[in-house]
Amino acid sequence: MRGKAGIALLVAGIAAAVAVAVAAAATDGSGRVHASAASAATTSGCSSKMYFGLAAPITGPAASLGQLQLSWVKFAVSSWNAKVKSPKFAFVQGDTQLPNVAQGIKAAKQLASDKRVWAVVGPAGSQEVQDTFASFKAGGLAIVSGSASRTSLTDGSRKGYFFRTVPNDSVQGPTVANYIASKLKATNVYIIDDQEAYSQGLADTVEAALKAKGINTTRDSIDQKATDFSSIIAKIPSNTNVVYIPWQLSSQAQNFGQQLKAAGKNVTLFGSDGLFDEANFTIPGSYVSFFPVNTKAGAVAAYKAAHGGKGDYFGAPSAAAAGIVMQAIAKACSDGKISRAEVRKDVATATIPASQSVLSVTVHFTTNGDLKGGSFGVWKIGADGSYSSVG
Amino acid sequence: MRALESLRSNVVQAAILLVIVGLFAYEIDTKGETLFFQLLVNGLTLGSVYALIALGYTMVYGILKLLNFAHGDIYMVGAFIGYGVLSAFGGPVNPSLPVWLLIIVMLAAAMLGAGVLGVAVERFAYRPLRDAPRIAPLISALGVSFFLQNSALLLFGASYRNYDPFDLLGLSGVHLGQVFIWKARFLVVAAAVVLMVVLLVLVRKTQLGKAMRATSYDREAAAMMGIDVDRVIASTFFIGSALAGAAGVMFGLVFSEIFHFMGFLAGLKGFTAAVVGGIGSIPGAMLGGLIVGCAEAFAQGYANGNWSDLIVFGILILFMLVRPRGLLGSPVIQKV
Repeated sequence: MRGKAGIALLVAGIAAAVAVAVAAAATDGSGRVHASAASAATTSGCSSKMYFGLAAPITGPAASLGQLQLSWVKFAVSSWNAKVKSPKFAFVQGDTQLPNVAQGIKAAKQLASDKRVWAVVGPAGSQEVQDTFASFKAGGLAIVSGSASRTSLTDGSRKGYFFRTVPNDSVQGPTVANYIASKLKATNVYIIDDQEAYSQGLADTVEAALKAKGINTTRDSIDQKATDFSSIIAKIPSNTNVVYIPWQLSSQAQNFGQQLKAAGKNVTLFGSDGLFDEANFTIPGSYVSFFPVNTKAGAVAAYKAAHGGKGDYFGAPSAAAAGIVMQAIAKACSDGKISRAEVRKDVATATIPASQSVLSVTVHFTTNGDLKGGSFGVWKIGADGSYSSVG
Repeated sequence: MRALESLRSNVVQAAILLVIVGLFAYEIDTKGETLFFQLLVNGLTLGSVYALIALGYTMVYGILKLLNFAHGDIYMVGAFIGYGVLSAFGGPVNPSLPVWLLIIVMLAAAMLGAGVLGVAVERFAYRPLRDAPRIAPLISALGVSFFLQNSALLLFGASYRNYDPFDLLGLSGVHLGQVFIWKARFLVVAAAVVLMVVLLVLVRKTQLGKAMRATSYDREAAAMMGIDVDRVIASTFFIGSALAGAAGVMFGLVFSEIFHFMGFLAGLKGFTAAVVGGIGSIPGAMLGGLIVGCAEAFAQGYANGNWSDLIVFGILILFMLVRPRGLLGSPVIQKV
């Protein structure tokens, strides 16, 4: 009797678990429908409503940045749809959950297999681009990233497929090194990378540039999932002026900064563009390098007006990427026929003049997919956690 | 022959110990005593967390000879329960309870929730397989681990949650010479010591503890003596899981961030600690936890962040080769 009751309970438990799993399978954690669960009806040609994909960390440890990119891309799409009669645009989200490699590849395959998608904005991280490129290329998709800055991404091996609306780290690295040397007048810099492609590449560039200026550097690294920084903080020599952290996860950097303060270390923290997160990285007195967003542009003012005065600048280059992608798809459709190969060619030659761009430069690409022109700036975090441009 | 093997084993162990002492002497000489003591403090804090996780592994192994690989994920669930309680009472910036009371409530809730989860896991995933070949419950444990991780992902999402302990507890601490000890570290080590002492008293001085020891020696004989073995096993899972839940909250209080995948590596390190101390030995699990925590801290401090996990799991392999019974475990006697 007791055994039968136990079995019945076990069966009921399994049935409940299966029910939850089936319900969850149709939606992601946010309730949105995945690309693969969307309507089976696809379009293979031009129509009055066209689609592109957005590959970004909508959830996960880097969600704070992915949400900014999502917000700006939504703004770019709604601005286009308000001004242009046809085609109208919508986008399909692929949640990459940076730094989850498996999830990133899964999102890339979903977008590549979605026949409605003609090009992709994203992915966000340099490592993600490396991990997902094969999937996007197999699908013939052009990918335009609004944040992946590792220099080697445009070494020619992704020519014609990968583009970016931000300068690369061969610009960011010297900018950071110059600022540390000339403005902060540091003599001892401790560099900690997070063992990911973006971070290591940028750390290498900055380290080399600082050494060339005769500045003493020490190099160390942490795991991107690390939360205990006490030992690495204990190692930082007392004569260190600046700790440079080219990381991707702003919450991790915030945690590090707080532990640094709790350990009584009086050093200046300098982060890279991946840490430009006004909501989560707010250590007073810290510095962050960032893309050339034109904070005085009309589009930026319109975005701020629609979003309670918040600029969310990290997402702005993704809006530029969305603009490029929409322009290319619309151009490809001008003769009523479209293919992903045609969209790729049109992305390569697309242009957004500086006067219409959210960036402070005209958006157009080199043959390898880099943004032509453009520089990085430096921002400082004030006592109240607010960001201001200082260089 | 056996004496020769024993001598060889002792010589190897002594040699390894000498190398380690030598390495420490070199590092202290080149990098100073302050760094050594700071790393020791860091290691003891982290080790306290690992010790609490290791206790659950060792208790379950002692009774069932089962490696409960879902244990690390129960620790993760405990961390999320603690976070939920923290949020429910106003969050770290403006809690609606005094901080000391809030922490007690967080610990209690996490221990209770994790304990109940542990009992449920034992009831549905392990008990039906108690008489099956050893591999079956092991595979079931792995399945439970993935189930819990992905359930947490579904329920809580992939974003990290932050305990914000610096807002909750402030930045103050104690300076011992040039070594700084943040008050949260005192809290964690003290709480871990209290829990471990309570566990030792429970195991050595209570009826339940006696029943647990009897069941670990010989389950069948214990049953024949009138001990309700199912109840003893369930109690063991409850206690072990409760300790893991407490460890989850402590981790959040010192290291801030929790996420759905945090139990995987912590569980493996807790397992390593249990092996190092002697699987099945409660004092061994405590000692093993402290050793693993210190090894990780010293590896990060003296070598590089890349090396810490390598060294920790290298220690596991070393112990399996040189001293498989661990530091305080009993030698396995086989009837021939």
